[in-house]
Amino acid sequence: MKKLKILLLTLMLLTGLYFLLTTKSSLAEQGGNEDLIIYTKPVKAVSFNHKAHSEDYGISCNICHDKIFQMEALNVEKKDDFNHKSFSKGKYCGVCHDGKKGFAMDRQCTRCHIGVKGLNKISKR
Amino acid sequence: MIPKKLDLKDSQIESPDLLPKIERRKFLKMGFAVTGLLAGGKILSLLSIANKSFAFSKEQYPYKPHYSMLIYQNRCIDCELCLEACIKTNNVPTYGYRTNILHRKVSMAVDQQVEFIPVLCNQCNRPPCVTGCPTKATYKDSKNGIVMMNYKKCIGCKTCMTACPYNARYYNEEIRSVDKCDFCYTNRLSKGLTTTACSEACPAKVRIFGDLSNPGSELYQMIHQVEKTVWVIRPESGAAPNVFYTRG
Repeated sequence: MKKLKILLLTLMLLTGLYFLLTTKSSLAEQGGNEDLIIYTKPVKAVSFNHKAHSEDYGISCNICHDKIFQMEALNVEKKDDFNHKSFSKGKYCGVCHDGKKGFAMDRQCTRCHIGVKGLNKISKR
Repeated sequence: MIPKKLDLKDSQIESPDLLPKIERRKFLKMGFAVTGLLAGGKILSLLSIANKSFAFSKEQYPYKPHYSMLIYQNRCIDCELCLEACIKTNNVPTYGYRTNILHRKVSMAVDQQVEFIPVLCNQCNRPPCVTGCPTKATYKDSKNGIVMMNYKKCIGCKTCMTACPYNARYYNEEIRSVDKCDFCYTNRLSKGLTTTACSEACPAKVRIFGDLSNPGSELYQMIHQVEKTVWVIRPESGAAPNVFYTRG
């Protein structure tokens, strides 16, 4: 009986570990590296630090997922209105980045926009 | 006739090391002029100093239209859509460029750590490239002030490339001539279009192209005001450039 319990426990741990690894690697594949998601549409390129938002700022997952952004990274790029015009109307990044909850988006452009130079730097790593 | 003995004490030293100092002195003078303005001084006192660095004078413009560009430096996000548009419009080869985007780190800044600086030919009023060219292959257009290239006359000596303070020229191997930005004159302006390809392609309204001699243009109004700083790159070259920079 005890053996069976240990076996089950290790199996559960292994599956958990597997999911953890696969989701991480898929984020890495889509977004450049494990912490950053790099958007290249509608312009090259915008860096979103997922790790900083989820861990450092302590924003819980359900604030963004699934209502504002789907779990799949970069999926939002497919939408035609994923741009600054929508942000200023309080959509997507604009939900938080309104100058009150998060920093405003009408100045300090290069806090998010890393440009083609930034993109090349990251893809070289 | 015996030549007059040189008095070294009174002569002006023309070493390049001293140029920034002269600029600093000029800047200080400018500061005094602004103070004078705030204390009820004359606006002319500021402009008269600005004229030494800038290509224009308030009263008269050498060209009509006087093509010019104002660049909002802080708006640039290095998406490079301007470069793509330029390459497409002007058949620029992969190794060359007519416009470029420089970047620098702003280590003092708390949040925004990088700044992108679009650069292109400054279409100078006193162009060192034109002075240096031995065959008159590059010349200043007498009507609109654009520094043009006559590819047939170019012998590829690259003197102009060395003379240019803005590194705005490259050697095009296909046409065996130096090539440079002409504010899209050949491929757009001469065909009736009113903007350059780069300024049209820019999604962030960084590059404002226009006629500096037209008081109704955004360009004229932005450059003839005193609230916001407008500057040029490398004013110490004395080339009187026509590309201006500001933030906002």
